[in-house]
Amino acid sequence: MSEDQDTPTTDHDYDGIREFDNPLPTWWLVTFFATIIFAFHYWIHYEFGGGMDQKAELSQDMAQIQQLQHNHPASLDTEEDLQKLAGSAEIISRGHDLFGAKCAVCHGPELQGVIGPNLTDEYWIHGQGRLTDIALIIRSGVPDKGMPNWESQLQNEEIRALTVFVASRKGSHPVNPKAPQGEKIAN
Amino acid sequence: MKAVNSLVEDIYYDDDIVKKFILATLVFAGVALAAGVMVALQLAFWPMNLNSEWLSFGRLRPLHTNAAIFAFAGNAIFAGIYHSSQRLLKARLFSDFLSRVHFWGWQAIIVAAAITLPLGYSHGKEYAELEWPIDIAITLIWVVFAVNFFGTLAKRREKHMYVALWFYIATIITVALLHVINSAEIPVSAFKSYPVYAGIQDAMVQWWYGHNAVAFFLTTPFLGLMYYYLPKAANRPVYSYRLSIIHFWALVFIYIWAGPHHLLYTSLPEWAQTLGMVFSIMLWAPSWGGMINGLLTLRGAWHLLRTDPIIKFFATAVTFYGMATFEGPLLSIKSVSSVGHYTDWIVGHVHGGTLGWNGFMIFGMLYYLVPRLWKTELYSVKLATAHFWTGFLGTIAYYLSMVVAGITQGLMWQAMTPDGRLMYPDFIETVTRILPLYWVRAFGGILYLAGFLLMVYNLYRTIKGAPVSVPEKVRVVNTRDVTAVETGHRGLEGAVTVFSVLTFLAVLVGSVIEIYPTLALHKYLPPSAQVEPYTPLELAGRDLYIREGCYLCHSQQIRPLASEVLRYGSPSTAEESMYDHPFQWGSKRTGPDLARVGKKYPDLWHYRHMLNPRVVTPQSIMPNYIWLATNDTDFLVLRKKFSVLKNMGTPYSDDQVANADIHAEKQAKEIAKSLEAQGGPSGLERKEIVAMIAYLQALGQKAKETPK
Repeated sequence: MSEDQDTPTTDHDYDGIREFDNPLPTWWLVTFFATIIFAFHYWIHYEFGGGMDQKAELSQDMAQIQQLQHNHPASLDTEEDLQKLAGSAEIISRGHDLFGAKCAVCHGPELQGVIGPNLTDEYWIHGQGRLTDIALIIRSGVPDKGMPNWESQLQNEEIRALTVFVASRKGSHPVNPKAPQGEKIAN
Repeated sequence: MKAVNSLVEDIYYDDDIVKKFILATLVFAGVALAAGVMVALQLAFWPMNLNSEWLSFGRLRPLHTNAAIFAFAGNAIFAGIYHSSQRLLKARLFSDFLSRVHFWGWQAIIVAAAITLPLGYSHGKEYAELEWPIDIAITLIWVVFAVNFFGTLAKRREKHMYVALWFYIATIITVALLHVINSAEIPVSAFKSYPVYAGIQDAMVQWWYGHNAVAFFLTTPFLGLMYYYLPKAANRPVYSYRLSIIHFWALVFIYIWAGPHHLLYTSLPEWAQTLGMVFSIMLWAPSWGGMINGLLTLRGAWHLLRTDPIIKFFATAVTFYGMATFEGPLLSIKSVSSVGHYTDWIVGHVHGGTLGWNGFMIFGMLYYLVPRLWKTELYSVKLATAHFWTGFLGTIAYYLSMVVAGITQGLMWQAMTPDGRLMYPDFIETVTRILPLYWVRAFGGILYLAGFLLMVYNLYRTIKGAPVSVPEKVRVVNTRDVTAVETGHRGLEGAVTVFSVLTFLAVLVGSVIEIYPTLALHKYLPPSAQVEPYTPLELAGRDLYIREGCYLCHSQQIRPLASEVLRYGSPSTAEESMYDHPFQWGSKRTGPDLARVGKKYPDLWHYRHMLNPRVVTPQSIMPNYIWLATNDTDFLVLRKKFSVLKNMGTPYSDDQVANADIHAEKQAKEIAKSLEAQGGPSGLERKEIVAMIAYLQALGQKAKETPK
């Protein structure tokens, strides 16, 4: 084979294995040196050259996000806005689906109350049972009592649908209701 | 030049020990691959967890990884090293007795692992899960291996060490160092211990170990095997001796630094993260040096690729090695890691290496060795070729499905809406999206296993048809005492001790520079940091968390990335894990991060979720942990556990240690009462589930000044 003739060889022979003495491929050497040069630059930039550290990068990103959130507030729904949706069977049914997926585990599939309170009676622990009160509790949660804040997990229209659905079940008298909790709100 | 006054001798090689290791390789490859298929199916279809305490994912996954690395690859490495070294050194192994102790000792360790891991005896440190008595046994057997290997080097009849032997030396020295340092632990009982390191120390030591287990258990020995078996099978000279020298030393020196690339964006100090990244980048060329030397050795033998399954396996293995060692540096770039870390991309990456590189090197080696050792022909070349294609397709299906799944999920976790909110706030959405790819992966694994079974049958028929073998005399020429003036590296190749010491120093530099500073943990904690250690019941729960392998699917480390802060809360800090022996940051998020899950849900939520996650999240793929509600908590052992932790520096008072069990029972009663009040069953106060709930509710609640 021709390549053997012009290939520099060594006299090594180990159990029949011989070794050529080919030079290091140039592209390989270039790659190796390039990564070493990059490594030094990167190290110096981030350790001594004032490159931004992870905390600084995070605060920059968070500031941007807060600006975006500020420009698009979560919800400015008024009681009237929500009332308008209350008659929509489509929205209620969407709320029903969401309730089954997210809320039923603590409030019971019939809203009768399990870990969390009964949502069908006239007693409310937080707020007066208005639509905006319900929306606020869903959005912000009551962390001390184990009600998560759903704002980070649900879109605006999902929170609206849930609110309207919960309100629609008021007085539905499910079986095995949880004992009343909070204040009785007459309306 | 050849020695003129050479001595001719007739000797016998110990091939019986090689045969033993080959048979063990075949047995345990079956175990490792079957366990792999099982865990892959569990991820695709959760009922495969079988509601069984002993077969749930968290316990089988360590069995799969340990069997694949230490039993399958381990036995194959020993077979290859013992076979090739004798021939390269023209000497029978140092001691037949030590060879047998090595063999039977290693198999005993594997059996012990296969029993204890499903029983839940685990350190909770990846690839180092085995408990302390087994750790000691591993150390002893490794020393036996080392003595046997270096003893053989001492009685060699060849003056110089061939490059394969350099890699074997690096393997033996570094694995010993890694294992001993990472396994430093204080026993609590016969099968329970706590690592001496905590928090960022433990993270640093663990990933220095974890990464270099890949480097010095799955890379250097395999490069050594490649340097022997590939030129042998192709009957071609090695491409470049010079390249061997440069890439060996560069690889050994640089590899050891790269560990922290597993910890990018964690609370590990940033200088260590940056070192991990830049050394990973510099590792690219040295790794490719090995690939080039392998592939270019095949120049002039490429026609064999069409006909010889051994060359098919070797050429593909080396190519996969090249792919994996390009992808590794890529994934170590911080911005790439921010997408890839915690996802299946990493799983795909590592299986590209293990299935493609390690597996195929082993298969090629076995097809080469078995007919030669049993002095017969391979039963069927056709079957071997079929094995190659089945294994190749399996690897490709595995790799591609996991890369796509990983990148998809990584991008979904980060996706934001224009109004600054998470696009996929519900974690489960990002799981159900990639579930079909979990089926593809399981299918890839099944193909790979099927290919392996073809080989088992083929080799069985080969061995069965072989004549009764008698040890054969080999005529060797002793060239040990050639006298010639040698300079530079050639001289070093004849000086085993100097060579070994230099190798040791090469791996020591990076180890000391990275690990030593983190041992002074307090330097990295804000002086105002006030962290409460775990209560005894929380500690009991934490040990259950480790026993069930929760860390294999859940991280406890929120990265300082905007999307993570929105999803999970403020970034994790170094002080939050300062009392964690071992740290439980995790490396994969099959489920969401748990660093701040404490107090997020009511106790009863956790009770129901642990017993059947689908009650809470209908599409969840987590196993049911029903046994936690029936098993009793061991309260009494908590005194011993507290005393061990106190000795390691956790600030517990004497009363807390002496009455740990009483305090734990008191807290358990409170939680049981709260469960009952919320509508749960009564009488749970002595059950494990209560300890688990105590721990989960404590996560993220221990630092006094919760950072902004």
